[in-house]
Amino acid sequence: MAMDPSEVEFLAEKETVKIIPNFSLDKIFLIGGDLGPFNPGLPVDVPVWLALNLKQRQKCRVIPPDWMEVEKLEEMRDLERKEETFTPVPSPYYMELTKLLLNHASDNIPKADEIRTLVKDIWDTRIAKLRLSADSFISQQEAHAKLDNLTLMEINTVRAFLLDSLNCMYKLRSNLQPSSSKGQFIDY
Amino acid sequence: MDTQSYHPVQPGVGMEENYLSLDDILLSHERLPIRTECAFPRLGFLEKSSDTQDIPEGTKMELPLWLSKGLYERKRRVLSVELPKVYKEGWRTVFNADSNVVDLHKMGPYYYGLGSQMLHFESPENPEIAQTLLQTFIGRFRRTMDSSQNAYNEDTSALVERLDCLEKALFRSGQSGLNGFQSWEKGQASQLTASSLVLNYRKRKITDIQT
Repeated sequence: MAMDPSEVEFLAEKETVKIIPNFSLDKIFLIGGDLGPFNPGLPVDVPVWLALNLKQRQKCRVIPPDWMEVEKLEEMRDLERKEETFTPVPSPYYMELTKLLLNHASDNIPKADEIRTLVKDIWDTRIAKLRLSADSFISQQEAHAKLDNLTLMEINTVRAFLLDSLNCMYKLRSNLQPSSSKGQFIDY
Repeated sequence: MDTQSYHPVQPGVGMEENYLSLDDILLSHERLPIRTECAFPRLGFLEKSSDTQDIPEGTKMELPLWLSKGLYERKRRVLSVELPKVYKEGWRTVFNADSNVVDLHKMGPYYYGLGSQMLHFESPENPEIAQTLLQTFIGRFRRTMDSSQNAYNEDTSALVERLDCLEKALFRSGQSGLNGFQSWEKGQASQLTASSLVLNYRKRKITDIQT
């Protein structure tokens, strides 16, 4: 069973991002890590979920991650188009972070629209590549594959389809050796 | 997703059927051309073309898959099963030439399932049938994938109508992945909606619930 994209987003919200708070608060001790102390005007690392919450309450300014920049993304897009395999991405949650930060803190990100277009381009290129490789994977009847640089969100969109297809292919293939499948009963 | 807690028994696809799978039960009702190898006394009512009380030896008739499978035995010749046309050599060549042009819904609609079940009858062409089933699936995979991943919020009936039942299930799982992602991207996933169960519940009349 595939995960829901919002569950993938939930995992992405654990990534850290730099913010500049406009309030002061002592160090807070949370399960999973201590945060702060928070001082007005001083950058501090916090998880994305907290950054977005503070941003919505107008208590901070978000500093976009290093890679969320037009030139770097253009370079990445060109490399992605040139390479046959998947190139390393700047963040394992690049799609989710782009969406979250651009939707909630676009006023803190320079050239937000261009970044949105570039990330969408990169995504589309990678998904087209994923489909191409899935097709050759099936047509060569392979049984295993290595997908190093795919992100969770990308895997998740094709997971149900690919696994179901591979299951069918496996069963149709085991028809070729009729003796091995006999005597096996699945109990319900 | 409103189907999350509903887990129907999946079809078996391979040679073994799943006992409680509705798809496999429907599949087992497909008729096969057979020839009786002995007389079936007092079963003449099954054979509408003659008025005899028994079915004589050598009658050609059609029986559902489940019955043919139950009566078929290798040693005692009760009946012999003929291959349906789509699994015979002529059609196999067509499938091998280009599987994408074939309307598997018309041919099937359980092309893969029935084909796998046909292997029970130990025809000498078994290896070729199994090979064709696999090659057909592989050949059509790209089209199933592309159509399920590209059509978003469109009428998909034109894409689906030529697919076999198994491919239709694959198409649906491809669509669910795509739709899940697209609705997340548009921000629909963050809106809370009432469960379809609750909505339907309200539509029922109060008297129905009380009785």
